[in-house]
Amino acid sequence: MNTTTARRRTSPVRLLAAAAALGLLLSACSVEDPEAPAAEGEGGGTFSIAVGIDPDTFDPAGQTTTTVQNMVDYVVETLVVFDENNELVGNLAESFETSEDGLTVTLGLREGVVFHDGTPFDAEAVKFNLERIIDPALTVPLGSPFEVIESVTAVDESTVEVTLSRPSPGFVSALSVTTAGMIAPESVTADGNTNDNYQRPVGTGPYTFGEYTAGESLTVEKFADYWGEEPYYDTVVFRIVPEAATRESLLLSDQVDMIILPPVSDIEALQNNDDVEVLLAESDRTIFIAMDTTDPVLSNPQVRQALNYAVDKQAIVENVLFGAAEVLNAPMAPSLFGYCETGSYDYDPERAQQMLAEAGAVGASMELLTPSGRYVQDQQAAEAIAGYLREVGLDVSVTTSDFPSFLARVNAPVSAQTPDLHLLGWAPPYLDADFQMQMFRQATHPPAGLATSFYTNPEVEELLAQADVETDQDTREQLYCDASQIIWDDAPWIFLWTQSFPIVWSSDVTGISATPTEKFSAIYARPAD
Amino acid sequence: MTGTAAHIVRTLLLSLITLFGVSVLIFLMLRVLPGDPARVLAGLNASEEQVSRLREQLGLDESLLAQYWQFITGVLTGDLGESARTSRPVTAEIAVRLPATLILAVVATVIGSIVGVTAGVIAAVRRNSLLDHAISSVAMMGVSMPVYWLGLLLILLFAVTLGWLPAAGSGEPLSIVLPAVTLAAFSTALISRMTRASMLEVMGQDYIRTAEAKGAAPRTVIIKHGLRNAFIPILTVISLQFGALLGGAVLTETVFGWPGIGRLLVDSIAARDFAVVQGIVLVYATAFILLNVIVDVLYVVVDPRIRY
Repeated sequence: MNTTTARRRTSPVRLLAAAAALGLLLSACSVEDPEAPAAEGEGGGTFSIAVGIDPDTFDPAGQTTTTVQNMVDYVVETLVVFDENNELVGNLAESFETSEDGLTVTLGLREGVVFHDGTPFDAEAVKFNLERIIDPALTVPLGSPFEVIESVTAVDESTVEVTLSRPSPGFVSALSVTTAGMIAPESVTADGNTNDNYQRPVGTGPYTFGEYTAGESLTVEKFADYWGEEPYYDTVVFRIVPEAATRESLLLSDQVDMIILPPVSDIEALQNNDDVEVLLAESDRTIFIAMDTTDPVLSNPQVRQALNYAVDKQAIVENVLFGAAEVLNAPMAPSLFGYCETGSYDYDPERAQQMLAEAGAVGASMELLTPSGRYVQDQQAAEAIAGYLREVGLDVSVTTSDFPSFLARVNAPVSAQTPDLHLLGWAPPYLDADFQMQMFRQATHPPAGLATSFYTNPEVEELLAQADVETDQDTREQLYCDASQIIWDDAPWIFLWTQSFPIVWSSDVTGISATPTEKFSAIYARPAD
Repeated sequence: MTGTAAHIVRTLLLSLITLFGVSVLIFLMLRVLPGDPARVLAGLNASEEQVSRLREQLGLDESLLAQYWQFITGVLTGDLGESARTSRPVTAEIAVRLPATLILAVVATVIGSIVGVTAGVIAAVRRNSLLDHAISSVAMMGVSMPVYWLGLLLILLFAVTLGWLPAAGSGEPLSIVLPAVTLAAFSTALISRMTRASMLEVMGQDYIRTAEAKGAAPRTVIIKHGLRNAFIPILTVISLQFGALLGGAVLTETVFGWPGIGRLLVDSIAARDFAVVQGIVLVYATAFILLNVIVDVLYVVVDPRIRY
């Protein structure tokens, strides 16, 4: 009896002791508290950014999401980049030239660049990296633009020649994607890395890869031998916070300096708050309703145009997306090379009704499938669109699904299960119409690709086939513009909007911007005066 | 005591069968879900060839039976496979994240038990008083408040408005306060209600009146004679709550950016990362079963009348 009593008395104490021990363990493996930025002058201190996505891999070749690419970009650099005017310019490659026949790309490399492990960045390193991303043994999710590489030759220390299997005018632009970031060849087997499990990237960037705590944060440290302009902050901490409202709280309580993607419903309040700056950055992500063009009713272009007239897109942008989008006036975002304004489908329900009546489509029943939480206010927007379509006499039901299930349905070959309408977003990883136009080609109908409206037009196919091999950029631009015009009139989509990429930061810092590929640019952030 | 030992051995054997059943169920359920892991992992822009190559690499082109055989033989040798999303071993992924979830669940259970039992005893002793009603009302709120809402409310008050506590992460010792309190809200309420009911039942018994008649101090009567005898159902609730907290941590971890396995589970389901989901579910199942065994043993310790 006594022994049991004693045991019972100690057990809560033991529990507390265990908790305390675990607590110590936790604080021991925790990251440094982000300090306040150092005073003006030579720089220093820590800059902290709250992002929403837990990194899956830091291997540039394994990238799938722009948020993780954004972190990798602090450490690993690409051969070329898009500048603030969305023009392609040299970076680690100072020059790039495509031969007359479009089959050879010659890269002139920047000299005096070193990787974080001290090894030189040279032609052999470029050869190693380009051959790595076309190695079939490696999973390279964004690797398709590089499949045209036939061989890579190191001509001399600072010249590389890339031979392509066919002319590919978008190839050099694709070299700006993080996937083609340059890592030190020796690092794939050093520091616990293996070629197919590369977790601690060694690049040429302004920051070196520091400590990563899964689910918690990544820290990067300033690289002393960086070839380019020196950033202000010694340390940058990315904190991983999946909940948008929590990210906003972190910023408002000064626990981080910058956040991406606040709750859209709070954007207006943030814009009215003097303590923070809000940037609704332009993005190349188009959001649209793909229509099943093989459906008996929707195969009629007149019906598809009617659906475009039936929806008040501007009203949805203002009231459902809180202004965080721009209504489309072409089948692609304005930031892409090859964009030209092709028209507008202004809200006109009478006209829509009349067109539907002429086509005998009044009362047609349709299913509208939407993912939930994948794109800004996706489900809410889909509900609003269904409402507008019902107003012009269509019988529309909305189905919601998680993204993998959604993808399984829209990425399947055309069948009775194909949804009549579905909301989808598409963001080319580099700013070229080539990637966007995959959505309108027969070759990329599901399951081979995500041209989920099963749209085919021989004229468009012909124009795009010409653009594929055209090396004169002006001609190429015109070809895309002509194709866009036909696509716009054929209306395989309800053209909705390009989604904005909201970034919010403390008014105490400056020097933050964004690129249209939904990346923030904060490497040269510094305290505001 | 031998009877007890035999009982424990029997329970453990049954647990193994249960675990086997769980492994089959979770394996099949994941594969019935629509959504091709290879397509999700390869990204929207990947070509069909890349997707089928990835499918092959992940072994998804093999038969279900072959896949299950590979999974279960792996489990028996302590190998839970490799995460398709991160290419890291599942055991390593879980090992990195499990301590955070355990700490959170332990702290929340400690808070829930201390506050809940104290409140429950007070409510029972001061039955039908204003205090009793107040405790019942607060408990009712605690049971019905969504974790998400409570969490954001606490962040708004203590991190943004007052600036006393960190809003998210696990970087500093104080970081645990808000998530633990949020997580504990539900179980505190449940434990206090359970304690009150159990205490009321016990306090009406003859031996309590005997103790009081003998002139024992009210404090002794309540704690030693009352709470001690009311403790078995309370202990059951506390232990099961600990299990529920491990699972319930999913939402709390998301709100507070806490780096535990709850969030890893959500991310892995969203990516159809089969190996990780299977691994985490097995960990949960094992934890629940172990808790039940521990409760069984504790019964004997707390109440000598119980023999198996």
